[in-house]
Amino acid sequence: MTGSALIPRNSLAWLLTAQVVVLLPHLPRLPIWVAVLWMVCALWRVQIQRMRWGYPGIVSKALAILVSVVGVYVTQGTLIGLDAAVLLLLLLFMLKLLEMREPRDALVVIYLGFFLIATAFLFNQSILLALYQCVSLLVLIAALVGLQQTSGRNDPGRALRTAGVLLAQAIPLMLVLFLVFPRLGPLWAVNSPGQQATTGLSESMAPGDVADLAQSGALAFRVNFEGPIPAHEQLYWRAMTLSQFDGRRWSHTAVGSGGGPGALQVEGASIGYRVVTGASHQPWLFSLRGATSTTDELVLTRDFMLRARRPISQTTAYSATSWPDSLLDPQGLDALQRRLYLAFPEGSDPRTREWAQTLRRQYPDDAELIQAMLQHFNREPYHYTLRPDTLGEHTNDEFLFDTRRGFCAHFAGAMTFALRAAGVPSRIVAGYQGGEVNPRGNHVLVHQFDAHAWVEAWLPGRGWISVDPTFQVAPERIERGLQEALRGEGSFLQDSPLSGARYRSIGWINNIRLAWDDVNYRWQLHVLGYESERQLDFFRRWFGTADWQRIAIIALIAAAVVMLPLALWTLRPQKRSNDPRKRAWNKLNRRLARLRLQARDGEGPRHWHARLVTALPAQKPELDAFFDEYVQQTYARSVPVADPASAAVLRSRLGSLLQRLPRKRRPGPVTLID
Amino acid sequence: MRDVLNGALHAVDQVLLGKPHAVKLAVACILARGHLLIEDLPGMGKTTLSQALARVMGLSYQRIQFTSDLLPGDILGTSVFDRNSAEFVFHPGPIFAELILADEINRATPKSQSALLEAMEEGQVTVDGATRPLPDPFFVIATQNPVSQSGTFALPESQLDRFLMRLSLGYPSLSAEKALLLRGGRRARLDNIEPAMTREQLHMLQQAVPEITASEPIIDYILRLVNRTRESQVCAWGLSPRASLGLLAAARAWAMLEHRGYVIPEDVQAVLPAVVSHRLRASEDPAGHGGGGLAQWLLNGVPAV
Repeated sequence: MTGSALIPRNSLAWLLTAQVVVLLPHLPRLPIWVAVLWMVCALWRVQIQRMRWGYPGIVSKALAILVSVVGVYVTQGTLIGLDAAVLLLLLLFMLKLLEMREPRDALVVIYLGFFLIATAFLFNQSILLALYQCVSLLVLIAALVGLQQTSGRNDPGRALRTAGVLLAQAIPLMLVLFLVFPRLGPLWAVNSPGQQATTGLSESMAPGDVADLAQSGALAFRVNFEGPIPAHEQLYWRAMTLSQFDGRRWSHTAVGSGGGPGALQVEGASIGYRVVTGASHQPWLFSLRGATSTTDELVLTRDFMLRARRPISQTTAYSATSWPDSLLDPQGLDALQRRLYLAFPEGSDPRTREWAQTLRRQYPDDAELIQAMLQHFNREPYHYTLRPDTLGEHTNDEFLFDTRRGFCAHFAGAMTFALRAAGVPSRIVAGYQGGEVNPRGNHVLVHQFDAHAWVEAWLPGRGWISVDPTFQVAPERIERGLQEALRGEGSFLQDSPLSGARYRSIGWINNIRLAWDDVNYRWQLHVLGYESERQLDFFRRWFGTADWQRIAIIALIAAAVVMLPLALWTLRPQKRSNDPRKRAWNKLNRRLARLRLQARDGEGPRHWHARLVTALPAQKPELDAFFDEYVQQTYARSVPVADPASAAVLRSRLGSLLQRLPRKRRPGPVTLID
Repeated sequence: MRDVLNGALHAVDQVLLGKPHAVKLAVACILARGHLLIEDLPGMGKTTLSQALARVMGLSYQRIQFTSDLLPGDILGTSVFDRNSAEFVFHPGPIFAELILADEINRATPKSQSALLEAMEEGQVTVDGATRPLPDPFFVIATQNPVSQSGTFALPESQLDRFLMRLSLGYPSLSAEKALLLRGGRRARLDNIEPAMTREQLHMLQQAVPEITASEPIIDYILRLVNRTRESQVCAWGLSPRASLGLLAAARAWAMLEHRGYVIPEDVQAVLPAVVSHRLRASEDPAGHGGGGLAQWLLNGVPAV
């Protein structure tokens, strides 16, 4: 083994640092044995470097691989899928340490590191992670630089500085590529990671489910309005309808949403807005009543919802326009729909059914019937609470007539059931209500605790109308939000002491929270949300075209425009010297280069002089005069003195030499005799 | 002075035919107070060169043939009990001469080698606790035989670094060899040459070498050269500061032989292969011989002006 083939100590230190830095973002997902394995590998590699231990043999390496694969299988339950694949990659990244003999092997580790940096973004795309991964890049590049350093010159700080300069130089190109690189759709479907981990609405709802959701301070989505922000009580964010009732749970059905968009008869003023939502791993999106969208990725459903074509696995932004006063399905319902929206299980909740039929007899008109029901909720002693009592077999009966304590899901469920029992087609709409205005970004934040459920009933001629029984019980919930509604109870986010939203009442914490939220919003909107649609908008706005061929040319030009000054600066010719001797020398050589006469690399002035005299015998006196003066002035004094007199002498000799040089370019290459 | 130097060079050239550049380097090495390592095949004139130099410079001359059983005492000298005066009397060894030819230095054991190399470095020897100064000037020409290396002790890098230059004479040109064959052997020629300078003149010349002007551009050039060997991956390791000092001294001596009061880049280039080639190793072959290829690479790769 020779000295050059070893990995420099400096580089190993950077490499191990880089491994820690690259592993850290994956740490929350890693089983503990992986971290232990890394420590063993790192210790082993350090001992190898200190020549205490040897490299592992083929048997131990095979064993390590086997143990890792089995370990992944045991922890993940599979070897296929994103989590398992990333874990396997991480293990390879660690184990490679043990067969890292030559710089070539270290390169493999470094390139794997770059790849792992990218994989971290599959799980998380926050601005903090992006900033952190810049540091990871820096450390990895420092390891790469350290690998190229010669022994005796291995200064870790120098490697880091070089890496920093390299990264900084790459920033302009990175920006250009960010703006113009085509946003390709995914080449293959990746199983969304950590599906179980996200909180959000689900496709079925029992009384109490929404109350659980209300304990989460996580952000559901952000909205930016084109015009002024509507009042709090108008912000009913629709996500899905729940139309099937089995006696306990309300569920979403494909019959309700499928079969093309519902008939929307536009009325009144429109509201334009843009929604940015995180990965929910569900297809439904959020919109106000009567929404349409021009975004390609969305479809309009039969129940007037916006829905993504595939589950949202990354931060997504979409624009929508809503006409809240428009009529939904005013012409009528077909038989299938009618049956769906009137169905309820036989034998369920007899007291509620009886109450509904009594009301029906009292109010034959549908609209009056609905009003009567709302008044019932208003007048009777119903109580809005996050701590409802447990309900038995006939949930609606017990809630309506016994406990009378409930959350929005109780009220909406009971009212829908009663309406159906009275023969009015109706359904539950699940979504969010309200939101918090962030004055810094002028946008609305909708949290999970804003989750809400309300009722839609179908009236002949008027279509689907929205009614909210919760409003009758706790109007402050609708007008000012959940925190106000639960002021007396003190149950707002009581299980999440660390949630920032809980401390909204403390001014400075709230300011920091809102400012940070604004940064995040811009990050999501402008960086993560810069998808193909926005990219095309960008091209149309700035280049007046969205044709890919022309954009490719523009991209190349843009890259050239950005990189050219950088390249020129990096490769700039020797900057104009302060030394008059050096200036004269450079001037002469530039002129000689036009005559195809060029000094060899490392050629001294006397040798160059001798060669020039052979090539230009006619100019020998001038050449002698200049070179003698040059050599005298440059080398005959221990410290060069730049006095004007000698500079003038040199200049005049250069002048007379240049005058005597042939003007024309000599034809063909010139071979000079030594 | 000009005549003295020319005369000395001319006289040595008369003995070692057709090798003016090697002769000039050897003289420059003496002027720069450096020691010389000659590496060549047997019979190429190593001994002749050293003897001629001693004679021309008017120096006392001793030859030590290094063998595997040579002991440090054989070089430095020993104390012998004198029965008449009843005390130990020091009998100086061959090292107490002004010019030493250490022939086939790699045949001796490291212990004996280091006795010589320490003397070279210190300018004095310590025998039986008494420190004795070596004559001034003191100049060592060591020879090494590159072939039949079995049973030899190659000089380690640290010892090689103590020689200012390493020369290789090479075969003479055919015309020079013809002249050699026609006009009698080297022995006769050696006897014919006369000292070209006195010891005092040599001393004066040696003292004048550091006075030769080495301007800032020359210092920068030397630094560029040295730095290149340290930064590049071609070299297994870079040149030491001792090497850059030696390069500057040798370039000054060369400028003196060119009868110039200042150093120009060509002087550095002339001495560079002899000064650096034994101190550099290619990184592909760090245990190897080191050589002229690297010196040429260095000269071609570093701008001189």
